[in-house]
Amino acid sequence: MAETTTNKEKMLKTVQVYSFAVTEASLFLDTHPDCREALEYYNKYKALCSEAKAAYEEKYGPLTISSDANSSAWKWAKTPWPWEICAYEEA
Amino acid sequence: MWQYEKKLQYPVKIKTPNPATAKIIITQFGGPDGELGAATRYLSQRYTAPCSEVKAILNDIGTEELGHIEMICSIVYQLTRNLSMKEIKESGFDTYFVDHTAGLYPIAASGVPFSAQTFQSTGDPLADLTEDMAAEQKARLSYDNILRLVDDPDVRDVIKFLREREIVHFQRFGEAMRLVTDQLDSKNFYAFNPSFDK
Repeated sequence: MAETTTNKEKMLKTVQVYSFAVTEASLFLDTHPDCREALEYYNKYKALCSEAKAAYEEKYGPLTISSDANSSAWKWAKTPWPWEICAYEEA
Repeated sequence: MWQYEKKLQYPVKIKTPNPATAKIIITQFGGPDGELGAATRYLSQRYTAPCSEVKAILNDIGTEELGHIEMICSIVYQLTRNLSMKEIKESGFDTYFVDHTAGLYPIAASGVPFSAQTFQSTGDPLADLTEDMAAEQKARLSYDNILRLVDDPDVRDVIKFLREREIVHFQRFGEAMRLVTDQLDSKNFYAFNPSFDK
């Protein structure tokens, strides 16, 4: 197995970083729903997360079953699953 | 309803299989303080939570725990790939292998299968949230013990991430508990079940 970090892995990591910020802000907002500062943080990272997901999906296939990346061909069933080592490798 | 995202919450990329380590890690799938119990506990308790904010936190932490089940299973799956029969016998993985081969089955490290008897859903938010805070601490100490037992940096990196999540969830459940107690009034000063005793 390659020890180097692939471009796919880097782009996925970007999605994971922004998704994590969104998750963390969401949980905080659940118990502090009137916190404007947290909502601004959430909105900032939500936008960055959407951009990162779109860039990843265009190159490496769908992250969700309803993604536009499935519209011309059903890539959902063909691309690797997240627990597989090959999910980090270039297709 | 849920929608699946075809990614892990945090990357799991284990270079070196190690079935003995897999036998330890699997306890966070099906063990008494594992992620399956956590997800099932919170997603069961959310229905009778007394206010929207507490329903939200139980729903969303429960959902995150589903992602943690997937991360733990990914570690076990990758630690048990491409094993020889010699490795299976010498590592002690043979007692798991005989029933499950390399399939993922929710079990404690001791071999006891997952049981709903490891958690409660009482319909009383004061009791449930107190249990939830304890559950996060018990999961945190299980991860601490895994870090005492496992040397592989690829495994440790993921376990450290999961450990941190327990600490954040403990904090959020503490806040949920405060929301519930703040809503107790003079008619229920002694904190009878605020979801049932209206």
